[in-house]
Amino acid sequence: MLKLLATRLMAAIPMMFLVATLVFFLAQLNPVDPAATLLGDDASLEAIAAKRAAMGIDRPLIVQYGDWISSAVTGDLGQNWFNGEEITTELRDRIPVTLSMVFGALTIAIIVGNTLGISAALKAGRWPDRLITVVSSLGLAVPNFWISMVFSYYFGVKLGWLPAIWPTQRPDTLLEWLKPLVLPCTALGISSSAAIARQSRSSMIGVLQRDYIRTALAKGMPVRRVVFKHAIRNAAIPVVTLAGFQLSALIGGAIFIELVFNIPGLGNWGVDAILRANIPVILAFVMVAALTVVLVNILLDLSYAWLNPKVRPE
Amino acid sequence: MTTHLEPEQVDATDAVADAHDDSPKTPSRFWPRIRRNKVAMAGLVFLVLISLVAIFAPFLTSHDAIYATRFQDILFSPGEEGYVLGTDHVGRDLLTRIMFGARYALIAGLEAVAVALIIGVPLGLTIGYFRGWVDRIVMRVVETVVSVPAVVMAMAIIAGLGPGLTNAMLAIGIVYSMIITRLARAEVFAAREELYVDGARAAGAGNNRIMWRHILPNVAPPLIVQTTLLFAQAVLAEAALSFLGLGATSNQASWGRMLRDAQNSIDRTIWPAIPPGLMVFFTIVAFNVLGDGLRDAFSREARGGKVGVGDVEAVSKKSSTKPIPERSLLSLRDLSIRFPRPGTHDDVSVVRDVDLDIGRGEVLALVGESGSGKSITALSLMGLVPDPGRSSAASIVLDGQELVNMDFDDLRSIRGKEIGIIFQEPSAALNPAYTVGRQVAEPLIVHLGMSKAEARRRVIELFREVGIPDPEKRIDAYPHQFSGGMAQRVMIAMALSCEPKLLIADEPTTALDVTVQGQMLDLIGDLARSRGVSVLLITHDLGVVADLADKVAVMYAGEIVEQGELAEVFNDPQHPYTEGLIAAIPRNESRTGSLPTIAGVVPPPWEWPSHCHFADRCAYVTDACRAASVEMRVSKHSLTRCVRADELDLAGVKRAGVVSIATDGGGS
Ligand code: SF4
Repeated sequence: MLKLLATRLMAAIPMMFLVATLVFFLAQLNPVDPAATLLGDDASLEAIAAKRAAMGIDRPLIVQYGDWISSAVTGDLGQNWFNGEEITTELRDRIPVTLSMVFGALTIAIIVGNTLGISAALKAGRWPDRLITVVSSLGLAVPNFWISMVFSYYFGVKLGWLPAIWPTQRPDTLLEWLKPLVLPCTALGISSSAAIARQSRSSMIGVLQRDYIRTALAKGMPVRRVVFKHAIRNAAIPVVTLAGFQLSALIGGAIFIELVFNIPGLGNWGVDAILRANIPVILAFVMVAALTVVLVNILLDLSYAWLNPKVRPE
Repeated sequence: MTTHLEPEQVDATDAVADAHDDSPKTPSRFWPRIRRNKVAMAGLVFLVLISLVAIFAPFLTSHDAIYATRFQDILFSPGEEGYVLGTDHVGRDLLTRIMFGARYALIAGLEAVAVALIIGVPLGLTIGYFRGWVDRIVMRVVETVVSVPAVVMAMAIIAGLGPGLTNAMLAIGIVYSMIITRLARAEVFAAREELYVDGARAAGAGNNRIMWRHILPNVAPPLIVQTTLLFAQAVLAEAALSFLGLGATSNQASWGRMLRDAQNSIDRTIWPAIPPGLMVFFTIVAFNVLGDGLRDAFSREARGGKVGVGDVEAVSKKSSTKPIPERSLLSLRDLSIRFPRPGTHDDVSVVRDVDLDIGRGEVLALVGESGSGKSITALSLMGLVPDPGRSSAASIVLDGQELVNMDFDDLRSIRGKEIGIIFQEPSAALNPAYTVGRQVAEPLIVHLGMSKAEARRRVIELFREVGIPDPEKRIDAYPHQFSGGMAQRVMIAMALSCEPKLLIADEPTTALDVTVQGQMLDLIGDLARSRGVSVLLITHDLGVVADLADKVAVMYAGEIVEQGELAEVFNDPQHPYTEGLIAAIPRNESRTGSLPTIAGVVPPPWEWPSHCHFADRCAYVTDACRAASVEMRVSKHSLTRCVRADELDLAGVKRAGVVSIATDGGGS
């Protein structure tokens, strides 16, 4: 198991390197001149040139690239061009916010999605199945940022049940920490729940038609045991794959939710950086997103080994 | 396909498997299927309407989409004259903006999808066709791009191109092209293995021609489905990126821009966000249902049924006319099984009026070609007819207990405990996720209430009895670590674990290697005899029953056609179908010669006539055979379903040239 983990981690390194390289050169194409943006509209050309030299962006690209990569491997991601903060410090504040939202949404999606999907599969072709199928195809199509606006307005502004925007002070209690997460996580989790419900339904239906399910029934096992012991483990494999895929989607989706609820996470930070060509931030933003996805995929691979003995290393 | 801009990816292998599964994959069946799908059609109609609105937007409204036409004092309130949906926070008519927004949505969607296809299709086809190092490098890049969340990657590309609607959709198109590339490549991989490519190559077609003329049409269905789903995503992407301020600018009335404006006044009202949000929502729904409809029309989804049903319904008791023999362990009367006929609303009978009697310690062979209904008959004894099949019987008596109309839990305590079953495909019949030991122990724990440790000890004993070497170690192995023969031994151990009274063996050797078939039959025979278990042995090969069975029931097209003592039936068959099966028994000495088989196959159930089911294949058919339905009647030592039984002199084993009937007994 450890060996599997090690090889997967090793394989992730060239991938992250490729992402970094791709994004570094892409970001250079940005027509916005960050030095000019920084100094404002009435800066002189000389002042801008001096600023560019000070930021080090007048050097040849390849030098800048080598510079960035070599300090990145030591854990130094440089400074935010616009506020001078260390990128790593900013990441330390922002990553937990975004990730708690993403994993909260994923948890909701896995619970709701599987409950709906399995219930539908057990009633395949009958009305509960039809209802769940319709609900999940509608759920898939709900734009998350739009439903966030609706939630924020009704539950936040109108009813005042939950915060409509992110609180500015740090939370003291667990409840205070959880409360502002409820609406964003729910809004973010809707379409992933629907996606997981569909996958879980169809893989459950597929598994229930397998010979080994017939064997279990022929052995006289109760239906509950057949479903929750014999079927679920096999049906889970494609659902786990999808959940990994959904995580990637949720990280992307979080960006929009952050804007609606004014959440100081990675998304708002990244969007702002793109508009102002704040390259160190753009790089860090994409790298963190990619790294999270890669790490979660490694975890998924390990879980396959648990679910499916065939891929378990001997 | 979620609203996080992370498109669902059409599974190439699925679509291909489905496409090849159904050989006459004619486009003529595609249209009726998609047209019958009302939901998909509704989606299509909605999209057509949206397109019309987009095209004729300037003629449908008198307001301006960009400039305010009302003062802010009537802000928001819908329903006012000329402002059906009211205005946004600066006094622009919402309805007008919605109509112009449809233009941006569709154009943006087209742009992204076109970019994705223009890059993805040729790239995917090329690398899939030529493979090699180019394929490896391209796939590396594709996998990397796909590993980053789509919207983040699109944002990185926008960081390079600069913000704006065109650039944003170009970025989305580039990201989605990776998905298209991967799909097209996978399809080509699957397609190029197909014979038609070989055929085309042999016919002298060049690479280009093969790729565009032969492969593309076959990879088109999954591509069409994926493209439709991507269109939905692209519409969403426009809204989402414009919402972030990376797409449409303030003088482009796109739905996403409207939502961004609505966000600015959200502390006062949500209203301006509702119409554009619903438009995005319904447009995505429309594309999705259309995509799903297309997918269903191209392939067939497995339809599930209820788990655990299959209990046998009662029919009016006719059993009084057919008494139950004294030494009988199991007696089945008037069993019928019906299934809905695929593609129609009608039911068809796959089994009709079957009676069976199995005595204590007796082995009954149920013989017939595939399609005769013998396996489903056996499943019905345990209430395991798969949904939506329905079985009914006048009576099923097992050891004095009536199984018809028994409730599920009582029937459950019969399954595995009183009746054990062995299936045809041992590897598929075992659950891949659990060790064989756990699976064999399960009935011991559930039915007999053993502890885990007791059950484990018992399983090791059972494994030893069925001849699994090294049982203490093998008990913790998984099914995939067993050969077919060993897996079947596991199944036998499982079936016998609770000391059942009846063992059903459904083609227990058909899926196994020829070398172990004989051993397996011997094992079943020995175990049954030593335990006094009755056996219902189902097979298509009359040869394999010779050593084992006491009695034989021959089944053809859902009916028992002959039933009697094995030796008598073998020596003097009373039904032409039995004669045919005997002639088909492989001869001991010269197995190489081709066997005389009965011409033709069992017709599908909906083609079964009301007269003798065998008439179309019978060498002795006369007009009398087609006059009326044929009932079972006594003919010498057997019961038979043939009107000419008395006058015909049919060939038994001796005359058919089967020297010894012990064909498969000692392992051939
Ligand atoms: S009834 Fe006629 S057709 Fe049917 S098996 Fe007998 S002889 Fe053949």
